[in-house]
Amino acid sequence: MNRERDTELAEKLDTLLRSCVQCGLCLPHCATYLATGNEAMSPRGRLLLLGEMLSGDDSGMGPAALDAFDLCIGCRACETACPSGVPYELLAEAKAMADEAAGPMRGVAARPLASPAVLGILREGASAARGAFGGIFGDRWRRRLEDAPAPARRLGRLLNTVPEVPRADAALIGMLDRLSGLSTPPDARPPRAAEAVREAALFTGCASGTLLEAAQLRLRALLAACGVALRIPAGQECCGALDRHLGASGRADARHARNTAALAAAARETGAVIVEAAGCGLELKGYPPEIAEHVVDVSVLLAQMDPPALRGVPLKVVLHDPCHARHGQGIVDEPRLLLDRIPDLSRLEPAEPEVCCGSGGAYSVFHPDLAQEMGRRKARVLAATGADLAVTTNPGCMGQIADGLALEAPDLPILPLSDLLWYAALT
Amino acid sequence: MAERPPLLRELEALLGASRCLSDPAARAVYARDASHMTLGRPLCVCLPAASDEVAGVVSLCLRHGVPYVARGAGTGLSGGALPGAGAVVISLARMEEVGEVDPVSRTVRVGPGAVNERIDAHAAAAGLEFAPDPSSQSAATIGGNIAENAGGPHCLRVGVTARHVRALEWVDPDGNVHGAAAGDDRSVPVVRGVDPETLLIGGEGTLGIVTAAELELVPLPAAAATLLALFPKLDAATDAVVGLLRAGMLPAALELVDRAMLEVVDEAFAFGFPAETDAAMIVEFTGAAAEVAEDAERAAGLLVAAGAAEARLARSDREREDLWRCRKKAFGAVGRLSPAYVTMDVAVPVGRLPDIVRVTAEQSRLHRVRIATALHAGDGNLHPGVMYDDRDEDSMARAHAAADAIILAALEMGGTVTGEHGVGVEKLHLLDRQLDPEAARLMAGIKELYDPRGLCNPGKAVLPFGAPISPRPRPAPADARFDWESLIVSAPADARLADLQREALARGFRIPAGAARADLTVGELVDHGAAGPGPLASGPDQDAVLEIWAETGDGRAFHAGAPTPKNVAGYDLVRLLCGAAGELATPRAATLSLRPAPESIGIRSWSGAGKLDPAALAYLRGILAGRDSALAGPAVRLSEGDLTVLAPGRDRDWDLVRLDADLARWGRDAGLGENGSGILPFAKGWELACGWVARPGPWCVLQRRIGGGAWPLSPLPAGATWIWRSVPEAIWLDRADAESPFGWRSEPVAAADGSSPPPRSSDSDRAEELRRGLKDLFDPGGRLPGPSRSTEAT
Repeated sequence: MNRERDTELAEKLDTLLRSCVQCGLCLPHCATYLATGNEAMSPRGRLLLLGEMLSGDDSGMGPAALDAFDLCIGCRACETACPSGVPYELLAEAKAMADEAAGPMRGVAARPLASPAVLGILREGASAARGAFGGIFGDRWRRRLEDAPAPARRLGRLLNTVPEVPRADAALIGMLDRLSGLSTPPDARPPRAAEAVREAALFTGCASGTLLEAAQLRLRALLAACGVALRIPAGQECCGALDRHLGASGRADARHARNTAALAAAARETGAVIVEAAGCGLELKGYPPEIAEHVVDVSVLLAQMDPPALRGVPLKVVLHDPCHARHGQGIVDEPRLLLDRIPDLSRLEPAEPEVCCGSGGAYSVFHPDLAQEMGRRKARVLAATGADLAVTTNPGCMGQIADGLALEAPDLPILPLSDLLWYAALT
Repeated sequence: MAERPPLLRELEALLGASRCLSDPAARAVYARDASHMTLGRPLCVCLPAASDEVAGVVSLCLRHGVPYVARGAGTGLSGGALPGAGAVVISLARMEEVGEVDPVSRTVRVGPGAVNERIDAHAAAAGLEFAPDPSSQSAATIGGNIAENAGGPHCLRVGVTARHVRALEWVDPDGNVHGAAAGDDRSVPVVRGVDPETLLIGGEGTLGIVTAAELELVPLPAAAATLLALFPKLDAATDAVVGLLRAGMLPAALELVDRAMLEVVDEAFAFGFPAETDAAMIVEFTGAAAEVAEDAERAAGLLVAAGAAEARLARSDREREDLWRCRKKAFGAVGRLSPAYVTMDVAVPVGRLPDIVRVTAEQSRLHRVRIATALHAGDGNLHPGVMYDDRDEDSMARAHAAADAIILAALEMGGTVTGEHGVGVEKLHLLDRQLDPEAARLMAGIKELYDPRGLCNPGKAVLPFGAPISPRPRPAPADARFDWESLIVSAPADARLADLQREALARGFRIPAGAARADLTVGELVDHGAAGPGPLASGPDQDAVLEIWAETGDGRAFHAGAPTPKNVAGYDLVRLLCGAAGELATPRAATLSLRPAPESIGIRSWSGAGKLDPAALAYLRGILAGRDSALAGPAVRLSEGDLTVLAPGRDRDWDLVRLDADLARWGRDAGLGENGSGILPFAKGWELACGWVARPGPWCVLQRRIGGGAWPLSPLPAGATWIWRSVPEAIWLDRADAESPFGWRSEPVAAADGSSPPPRSSDSDRAEELRRGLKDLFDPGGRLPGPSRSTEAT
């Protein structure tokens, strides 16, 4: 197969292991560790296990070790916390390679177990790395089928975490009026378009484009009010992140190609591809340079623009940072700055803002119990701030947290940040 | 497949399978911690969620004779939380609750698994913080902080963990839970008698398991000024540290990193230090805005005069945060340069800092190993990181040879093998070079007393009975000896504290104990504290004591502690003896710390205060309450209708001048007659305060209980003399029978002859048993005062 790539991966894994000094500073930032209390479910624990496997001291490592790798949600909070610069994403890469080799949900039965034989190959080092990872991680699919939660549970999880926003503008206004005590006059108008000062292409995505269509329409109005003239190129589709989460990188690559074709001209001409969902944003930053170089998260763009006049909204608001924004793209300040622009609003900081909510693409469907535990913890810390409203910038997080809030703090609603900004911009 | 051990089945029955992990992955992971060592695979890992579950696990281990070890986040560097093969790990990570902050008593109750930094985040809403900030604070848990008596950069002014723990709940090795009894407050400035719980702090989890703690919080500073000073020569930087402290400056933090560590940090965080920099120093002042500005300017001048190429203020909060992030994550970042390294933790008297840094450089050259060092320079505590390649045995051997040589040099200087990381298993082989044989024997006896079955984290922290000791005699001083470089004074027990204070004050320093009777001796300070009001204190009086030479009841001399503010080698015998009312041992000499004295003192006095409205007094307290200081806090006396306020500070418009105006206004509003006022050199005010307490007693103290009532407004008896002091807060009355206001307690602290009243009885049978056991260990013949085992029989 691809020997060069195998060698490269083996070297990377060696770097990964040797750069970890085992200090443990990653632990309290890891959502799976916090949810289970089990250090094997922490970044340091996973690397220790990997090291043991590679060194031959694998005495009976079995399903529990596989679980530890399998249950990493890939939020990369550990990378932000790590002083030693451990390139933890390499572990995810290795997993993805194994998944790809296994094929998404197909060919599962053909994948070997993490048998002593496979682990033996693993120890042979460099050229075996890829096969070995196929061995370790390929097995996860089989286990998934065997141990998978009942289909009903998964379906239930899927439905419970579908992000929702009030579809009708009036419903959103009514909800925020109730929360804030304002009474928006019935003739209030959405923010009016300002004179355009720049052009930008909008990536429409799938979740945000269809599931949250109403929110995206309001966002468009908001962008127009900031002087952004939008171009919405035809032929776009899902960014491919979900396929990648499912180990179908071939399908993801095909989506990359089609989206690149659809967006390239507009990207070149406007210099900006605006992405609403943080998860899509990170995926698009992995596209070919003609797209990747122009990708701008919508909160980053909004923070650069002169806002329309905003009315006072006397609400206590807490922001949840999607991992794709905070750890994946380093976006921390901009959404806060946007909230701070709204008069009378008090912005609250939650505890452990860097910890993942447990959404993780398809993760919450495949690991419903663990994901729900993470979502509940996130809901508790958001509610503990005493906020009236939670906001975020990724639909996956929103659905996941809404599910947690329903169980832990049913009085605390969650909305897209852009919906709150839109409400404040009503005239 | 072998049958599952019965203990495992019982633990699973107790906790459920999901909280009793025995799979190979968990056993492999929990066999390690941040120390890079391993002793063996544990039997299983328990994840209890409450104190009674911890007690249940301990009881089961006891019944089956299986050792156990408590664990937090596994960030310890000395291997203190490593399990032996087949042991049970008790992870406290799930007991992470942080309770409501009590803003009045400045306390918060937390579970042992609460992460240090999250306690800070939680307390910040009330304008408070937990002062100890070990560099691992973003992950390290409070249980581990207490077990190791952790320090951190910001302990220079305000002290290490022991100073900030008010009460503990713990599970003893018999499986009993001991709750924090009401009023059981470690900061109470009165003699407690023998306190068996104090040994849990710094006990490395070998004497019991802390399951909750009541922590003392300190106010967040109003302002901070953070200087970054860059030195072209490391020697000049260490000299500058000594110079800065000698000049009477006491920053909140005084940190240093050498060139090798700078390269690591720059690689990791791209801070952009100039290439010709040999050492970088962070000096942080906290307090009022004008105060920190003045201090920072003065410090910058001193540092430049001492050879700094530049000394400039952090330009923004963000730059300040970046500096601290660089410093606190420096050690993790060493991993970028070297796959493995030994993180050392020696501490020396601060005056010897330049010497130990020179030794470190020599050993680096001699053994051809790279050493990157970060120093809590103001505390004399340094962390050389000795790098090696773990795939090269020769390099590993050279690294350990260099490390051992540095430790031995530190011991020669009077220092300690460990300032804040603990002995664990890592430094056990060096403990015999530091402890004297009698102290080592006492520690082994303590371990046996608390944990007779030897199952509670065995093989850590202290040497077993009969371990060979290479005595390193540290002779007791025959007369008072000041070391102005290291800012300590060693004196025999019969030396008078007042004489030592006078000599210190003449140089602008003071021993950080409250004003006391003129005839109080150093020995009495150890045994009883000031045994009276002790106004103008800056903390419990015993905090001044660093090192004690003493004699057990049966006449065996021993030495405990070290002449450095950070020392966690073995059990904390110094804290055990301080305030033990001479029940355990007779002090022969002690080393006390010296701290800068405040520059000035504001004095204002009124007449006609005999029938003062209690609300007006509460208002006066409000004016003074914000003036807590690590140097000395204010004091108020009401006697025969005269009310006098002493407030240490600076003779500046923004400080004492403004305060005096506030006080004058308050006195007018309260309708009092002016007796006079002035701002004087501190030594004058000190004499006055000593005069207040000249009378031996009786004195009675009113002390707020944790979560207790408001400042006492009504029951202060008319005609009594009372003295209020702010740090730690208490009100003294010159009568022994004062009534307790709600939420406070009243306790006699000094009899008419100046001696302490008998110590309180313990709150539980087990505590009483431990107290008697300690008594029996230190004073087998019952020659010293206090209850002995022989009186127990009744």
